[in-house]
Amino acid sequence: MPILPLHYMFLSLTLFCIGIMGVLIRRNAIIIFMCVELMLNAVNLLMVAFSKMYVDAGAQVFVFFIMVVAAAEVAVGLAVIVMMYRKVHSVDVNILNRLKH
Amino acid sequence: MKAIIAATILGIVMMFAGLQMKNKSSVVTLAIVLAFLLLGVNIWDLVATPATAPVGYFNNMLRIDRYALWFSTLMTGVTVLYTLLVGKEIQKVGVHVAEYFALIFFILCGVYILSCYNNMLMLFLGIEILSIPQYILAGSDKKNLKSSEASLKYFLMGAFSTGILLMGITLLYGATGSFNIVAYSFLQSDALNPLALGGVIFVMIALGFKVSAAPMHMWTPDVYDGSPTPFTAYMATVVKASAFFAFIRLFQVSFGSISSQWTVVLSVITAATLLIGNLTAVFQQSVKRMLSYSSIAQAGFMLFAVLAVNAVAWQGIIIYAVAYSIATIGIFTVLMKLKDYTYDGFNGLAKKEPLLAFVTTIFLFSLAGIPLTGGFMAKYYVIQAVMVQNQFLWLVIFGLLMAAISVYYYFRVIIAMYFKEGNAELHAPVTQGEKVLLVITCGLVILIGIFPQLLLSWI
Amino acid sequence: MTQLVYLIPLFPLIGFLINGLGWRTIPKTAAGIIGSLAILASFVVSVGIFFEVNSPSFHGPVLVHLFDFIQTGKLYIPFTFQVDALSTLFLLIITGVGFLIHVYSTSYMHHDEGMVKYFAFLNLFVFSMLLLVLGANYLVMFIGWEGVGLCSYLLIGFWFKNRDYTNAAKKAFVMNRIGDLGFLVGMMMILFNYGTLSYGEFFGKLGTVPGALGENTYNWIAVCLFIGAIGKSAQIPLYTWLPDAMAGPTPVSALIHAATMVTAGIYMIARSSVLYNLAPFTLHIVAIIGLATAIFAATVAIKQYDIKKVLAYSTVSQLGFMFLALGVGAYTTAVFHVMTHAFFKALLFLGSGSVIHAMGGEQDIRLMGGLGKKMRITQITFLIGCLAISGIPGFSGFFSKDEILAATYAHDPILYYMALAAAMMTAFYMFRLYFLTFTGKFRGTHDQEHHLHESPSAMTIPLIVLAILSVVGGYVGLPAVISEHHALASYLSPVVSNAGEHHMAAGTEWLLMGLSSGLSVVMIIYAFTANKVPSFVPNTGLAKLLENKWYVDEIYDAVIVRPLAALSGLLDKFVEKSGIDGIVNGVGKGVRYGSDRIRMLQTGQVGFYIFVMVLGIVALFAITFFGVKL
Repeated sequence: MPILPLHYMFLSLTLFCIGIMGVLIRRNAIIIFMCVELMLNAVNLLMVAFSKMYVDAGAQVFVFFIMVVAAAEVAVGLAVIVMMYRKVHSVDVNILNRLKH
Repeated sequence: MKAIIAATILGIVMMFAGLQMKNKSSVVTLAIVLAFLLLGVNIWDLVATPATAPVGYFNNMLRIDRYALWFSTLMTGVTVLYTLLVGKEIQKVGVHVAEYFALIFFILCGVYILSCYNNMLMLFLGIEILSIPQYILAGSDKKNLKSSEASLKYFLMGAFSTGILLMGITLLYGATGSFNIVAYSFLQSDALNPLALGGVIFVMIALGFKVSAAPMHMWTPDVYDGSPTPFTAYMATVVKASAFFAFIRLFQVSFGSISSQWTVVLSVITAATLLIGNLTAVFQQSVKRMLSYSSIAQAGFMLFAVLAVNAVAWQGIIIYAVAYSIATIGIFTVLMKLKDYTYDGFNGLAKKEPLLAFVTTIFLFSLAGIPLTGGFMAKYYVIQAVMVQNQFLWLVIFGLLMAAISVYYYFRVIIAMYFKEGNAELHAPVTQGEKVLLVITCGLVILIGIFPQLLLSWI
Repeated sequence: MTQLVYLIPLFPLIGFLINGLGWRTIPKTAAGIIGSLAILASFVVSVGIFFEVNSPSFHGPVLVHLFDFIQTGKLYIPFTFQVDALSTLFLLIITGVGFLIHVYSTSYMHHDEGMVKYFAFLNLFVFSMLLLVLGANYLVMFIGWEGVGLCSYLLIGFWFKNRDYTNAAKKAFVMNRIGDLGFLVGMMMILFNYGTLSYGEFFGKLGTVPGALGENTYNWIAVCLFIGAIGKSAQIPLYTWLPDAMAGPTPVSALIHAATMVTAGIYMIARSSVLYNLAPFTLHIVAIIGLATAIFAATVAIKQYDIKKVLAYSTVSQLGFMFLALGVGAYTTAVFHVMTHAFFKALLFLGSGSVIHAMGGEQDIRLMGGLGKKMRITQITFLIGCLAISGIPGFSGFFSKDEILAATYAHDPILYYMALAAAMMTAFYMFRLYFLTFTGKFRGTHDQEHHLHESPSAMTIPLIVLAILSVVGGYVGLPAVISEHHALASYLSPVVSNAGEHHMAAGTEWLLMGLSSGLSVVMIIYAFTANKVPSFVPNTGLAKLLENKWYVDEIYDAVIVRPLAALSGLLDKFVEKSGIDGIVNGVGKGVRYGSDRIRMLQTGQVGFYIFVMVLGIVALFAITFFGVKL
């Protein structure tokens, strides 16, 4: 069976939805962040598939940019999580509720 | 283009200055000088670029036209005003003052990219350059748990919305085979690929997140409330305005031809934003938190401009961006002078500092949209833009009703200042220089209210 | 001369800036002089313009272009003033009466520490009001409209230390904003349908360019503008702010809440008469609301004891008369009544200010009485005001009110009889006020009696001038049976004229005049006897006749006054307090409740926030793919 772009689409949309579900369900900030990374990687996969489909390298370059920016986000994000951990000794997002209403 | 390079270099200069300069106030002075320098570069760009022919850079991934240049210049001008008014307060946030200013310069770099992008890659980069420094600024008050919480919340939700944005971009690419925003304008409404429509909605949601449109607004009150106040002032003004400019640029240039497909959804978003922003602001006790809800409400009005796909909307968003930013920065400046951020903290301010109370009143008038202030003209232009479009009369009426509600919570501050007994405690006496600056800011608000054409004369 | 029209609002603006910026340093006396001089200068220029406009060589409205206000795409709104007969007449009223009230205030407010601020606000008010009447398009009018609302707010709450007063100020502001919403929507509809806000262009296009809603366009626009007028001019159901607005200093009540600002609604409709002539349905509504307000307010006024409240309700009632005139298409007549009303109501308010001044702040008429002996000038001028408002022949109110009644009769006799009843009540409650205040024995404390004195000349001279105007002001519009030449109507005819001029038989007109003035006299005498105080009024002949027929009085009392009083009390208690106030407060409570509920959505949990966002995404996708399409 040939693998069509449609198959890639289903695969990456599934991955994307798994990522979203993970973000919704998990309480650990690091895991949530990993689920976001999963969403980004689903996008990367789809980009590459479309790139192949259109025979256009542009999307592959885009993927590199996504990776770089994601790395930058990780750098900042982990720093923020560590800063939080130092204060409350937990990375559970549910205890973050000093700001509300 | 010169401005983008200059903003990056000046940001790095600021970082190195942090290594060398130990005196905080000299760092602030340097930042103000550099901000003026950046404004100069912008004006140079504006004068040097011919009015008729837009210039493309990086294989036309950036396309610098008159609107982009003028908007960048205005936002830099607002930033200069911001550094002048708030610079002193930034010193108090933490030890790394130079880094904070460096981050502000990097944010400006993002603002410039967002005002002239012509390619989805640049949109993505611009949004990220705009956002990542904000995550850091939100958490810059390291001793304060609320600040860290705001930072983490903003970061998690921001990263999530990045994923949504990228998914939208990918779907659009899948439907058209291009990242160029002009290429999307050939989409036809009657034979629209569902992939493309899905992409449009995803992008709309991601940009809606950045401008805090409901139901993607939930981060706004917490982040604005938790962040150190000087940075809240910046996030709520320049950053939000430029996200709006990116929003309108994409949806007019690219998706104008298929506007019938997305205006209904956007009108629902607009109505929800207006409702939630205005209604929730009514019950707040802290003025800072009220202002963050009010910024959601104001975003609802700015969405009018996105909704109306025409030339008036461009003018509307420019006037709105400037009028709203100046008034908000002004009111945050006054807020930072006070010890108590609740309404009660304003009690009796009129007696203690009549000038401060007066300028606050003008800023609040502007936010509420009372005539002869910039806010009125801004609202007038965006509503006008929708009216010309001959649609969404119900939304206009709804918006006006909500504006009437907004009078309630803005005027609570005025009532507290003028009609309530109390002793509004200040951190430090207001200096003569600050008063002059506030009066100038106040003058600008009124000037825009009388001659809004001034803001459009360079386009 | 007409090109100098920009000077008229400029002077008050300068006065405002001087007093407003220097409110700490400028001495009180200087502030009063600056404020008054600014208005006097405007008045002088207005008189000059009036003579030019009135000359036969003047043709059509003169547009004075100041600067371009808004220029976007097809839309072009200049900041332009329009000088024509209507705006000039209002200029004269505003600056003339305004000047007198400024002079009066220099003395009345002299003991108040905020006097400089007061004059700054007052000048700002005059400036806004002048913008309102001078504008050549609806947007300039709207700016003035909002400006006067703001000044009214500031001045009602002028003594801001009293919580009730600031609440009254807030109420006025909110009520006005509701009306403004109508105005704004009306403006939008004009802009949307006709692409312009200028009077000239808009009226030119009316009737030729069909609107989006066909014939109904006119009615919709007219109704929206009328809602604006309801708010500003205190008509049912938005009138409740005006009686509360009496919390402000008395000269403010005279200037803003009687003579000028509240007539802005009448000005707007008279200005838009071309539109309203095309919207007969709306005119009908205007007439009904006007008449209902006139009657309702008059009934309430009968039972009030606060001297300013009586005058306030009387203002609401008189405004109702003006709207009635507009509603029956008698635009000129309405403007005529605006003018005469400005004179005599300003006079009455200033007179009441003089009384309050003498009584040391007491406002309850039950605790007054016999003031006439100590304050002769106030008494006589007040009497003239009462005679004028009651429509006694020879005084200005007679001519304008009679014209309204005649126009109403020509329109529909049933409306006429109801209006006549309101006019009778006017005569009754005004003279009840007069007799209780100025005649009989003094009922206040001993200290007050000792303190009683005539006011200084800065206060009495404006009273005398206004009294003269209240007498002679009506002679510019003599009834048709007396003179063929109606000076005011011919002066205003290039701008507005009465729609469907009904010519009545001379006999009918005499009869109507005789009926209304005769009944007014009866009511006055009745007021005199009903309040059981001896009086020096010489014409006791008729009164004696009434006294001799005691039982008539009793029947009157049982059949008319008691039910009326009961109704008045009932209306005051239920309709006003719980009904209308209740609705207004209810909306406020609803908003607060909704706010409190929605606020709880902000739980502080990131997971929940993202959940809401995802729900939103799903909903938006559902709308896009399965929902309505445009």
